[in-house]
Amino acid sequence: MKKYFLVLIMILILFCACNRKTSNEFVVGVQAPITGEYASEGQGMSNAVKLIVQQQNDEGGLNGVMIKVITCDDEGSPQKASICAKKLVNDGAKVVIGSYTSTATAASQEIYANASVIQTSDATAAVLTQGNYKTYFRASFNDDIEGEFTANYFVNVKKYGNIAIISDYSSFSSGLAGAVVKNIGLLGGNIVCNEKIDANAQDFKAVLTKIKALNPDVIYFSGYYTQSGLLRAQQVQLDIQADYVGGNATDNPQFIEIAGEQNAIDSYLVGLPVPEQLDYPEALKFNSDYLREYKAPVPSIWTVINADGLRVVFEAMKQVNTNDTIAAIEHIKGGMKDFRGLTGPITIQRNGERAGSIYRVNVINSDLDYETVYYDPVSGK
Amino acid sequence: MDIFSQQLINGLTYGSLLGFIALGYTMVYGILNLINFAHGDMVTLAAFLAITIAPLAVAAGTLAMIITLAAVVVSVCIIAILLEKIAYKPLRAAPRLSLIVSALGAGMVIKNAIMLIWGANPRIFPRNLFPAGLAKFSDISVSYLSVIILLLNILVMLTLYIFINKTRVGIAIKALSTDYSVAELMGVNVNNTVMIVFLIGGGVGALGGMLIGASYTTVTFSMGFDYGIKAFIAAILGGIGSIPGAMFGGLLLGLTYTFCSGYVSSAWANTVTYLLLIILLIFRPNGLFGRSLVQKV
Repeated sequence: MKKYFLVLIMILILFCACNRKTSNEFVVGVQAPITGEYASEGQGMSNAVKLIVQQQNDEGGLNGVMIKVITCDDEGSPQKASICAKKLVNDGAKVVIGSYTSTATAASQEIYANASVIQTSDATAAVLTQGNYKTYFRASFNDDIEGEFTANYFVNVKKYGNIAIISDYSSFSSGLAGAVVKNIGLLGGNIVCNEKIDANAQDFKAVLTKIKALNPDVIYFSGYYTQSGLLRAQQVQLDIQADYVGGNATDNPQFIEIAGEQNAIDSYLVGLPVPEQLDYPEALKFNSDYLREYKAPVPSIWTVINADGLRVVFEAMKQVNTNDTIAAIEHIKGGMKDFRGLTGPITIQRNGERAGSIYRVNVINSDLDYETVYYDPVSGK
Repeated sequence: MDIFSQQLINGLTYGSLLGFIALGYTMVYGILNLINFAHGDMVTLAAFLAITIAPLAVAAGTLAMIITLAAVVVSVCIIAILLEKIAYKPLRAAPRLSLIVSALGAGMVIKNAIMLIWGANPRIFPRNLFPAGLAKFSDISVSYLSVIILLLNILVMLTLYIFINKTRVGIAIKALSTDYSVAELMGVNVNNTVMIVFLIGGGVGALGGMLIGASYTTVTFSMGFDYGIKAFIAAILGGIGSIPGAMFGGLLLGLTYTFCSGYVSSAWANTVTYLLLIILLIFRPNGLFGRSLVQKV
């Protein structure tokens, strides 16, 4: 008898735990790596979303409805990502910002699309827009565009003779490396090796030693800042005289910390401008609001891109005068032109890709500041 | 040839680090037949303790390195003994499965405690703890840290070898691992001996944790799992229960992995490495230095 009573109580607790939905609020979800090695990016995303939402609530909410933020930690992993997606949908999220990594984003897309939840992220893997998910769009740029830009810089601007490429197994890193390799091939550049590293490992000296024997002029890595910092430090340890170039995910202040200040100097970063380089009035205001709220500068451009994604959704809902997600996504993908984003004018194409490109090459100078040495010839600046 | 020597050094350094951790697994298994799953997290704990202690010790100037190393090793030894007293000793007579569950639980407690105390973000290991710099021989470059790691590896191995074979306590450890109940009947103090085994495993693991931190700069609260698994494999490879086995198992694993990435294919390095290890274990099921287990029925 006692046993049945206990079971009954447990079932009751379960019911209470499930029925926590609140109705009169517009819920914005954040699916991001709050812990783990990409934590600094995940926390930046969550902070930025809270800041934008708070400012929107101060203006009276979204079409008269107050907005609430729920965060779910996906640790950058695809397994956790799909759990998060289901949880956020169950909790009533209408818009989800996330995730930071392409792998985690890809794992959650279908769940959001089926629930008609608008999803936007900073992820850049080309595959993300190839699934034709009706509710997905991004304020970042497809890796194929970065691949073209990087290849052009290596072959036509720097005229590197021997190019060594390193990537890891994540969908973002291998996709970007693939785009770079393809475009270098089209331009007639010479790739001496195309290596893989295990992102869970920390010792990359074996691969770097192998590369050293091939006398490269440049070592390019397409993965994230944690491994990028270690690669740069170990390149210096092994005394490999070659330029070091990181792809867009090397852009994080921790790159310098991990590589070591002395080692980080003269590293090149191909990517988007860093937050401090954005000079649009909206961006200057966002940077200073963020600094005031969190007592720390915006961690990276990805934080700003995610903020832009959310701003696009809010703007669309205001323009169509309803918080209906289907009406809003229709408007985003067809109606809005040149929205004044923090990262420049934003136009989203029908397939969910952002039009144009704002790529550039930064070098870390002896004061550890980013110095732009090359702009995209198409967009100018 | 230069490339070969460079890879040899890379592999030996990486392998030594695994060996330091593998030692803790193998010693505990030798006596208690227990896989101490919390060991990897103790190694992580050492790295994080060093992050906190190093800045305090910097005031001591050149002695900072010695003070930090000693303080961290001693703290981890104490925690290792506490771990044994709290999580394993009450269960010594219980079935092995309960001990394993207790070990997994203890590992989670330590890992989460690290996360709560130091945070979930990756932390940067202090750079001034070990001498920085490079020694260059023609085209080969060796960091001073690698030299320290290799020397420490040899030193630890020799000390333990002498300790196990020449001292009373060491012989007691050997007796317990040969036959637990007979040794107990012969008057070996089981509690003290087990404590000393945890102390040594924890201390050498702590050394490994700090050297990993110094080699790769970033430490995360969850890194114990990855290093733990690799070190555990190294221990099995060397023959679990054998002390030289742990060190050589670590070196073999490090060298195989390095040479696979360097000469076969970096994309296939993990697959090829573990395939070779499986083949080795088919021919030597008890590992390189393992005793063959004949059980009388």
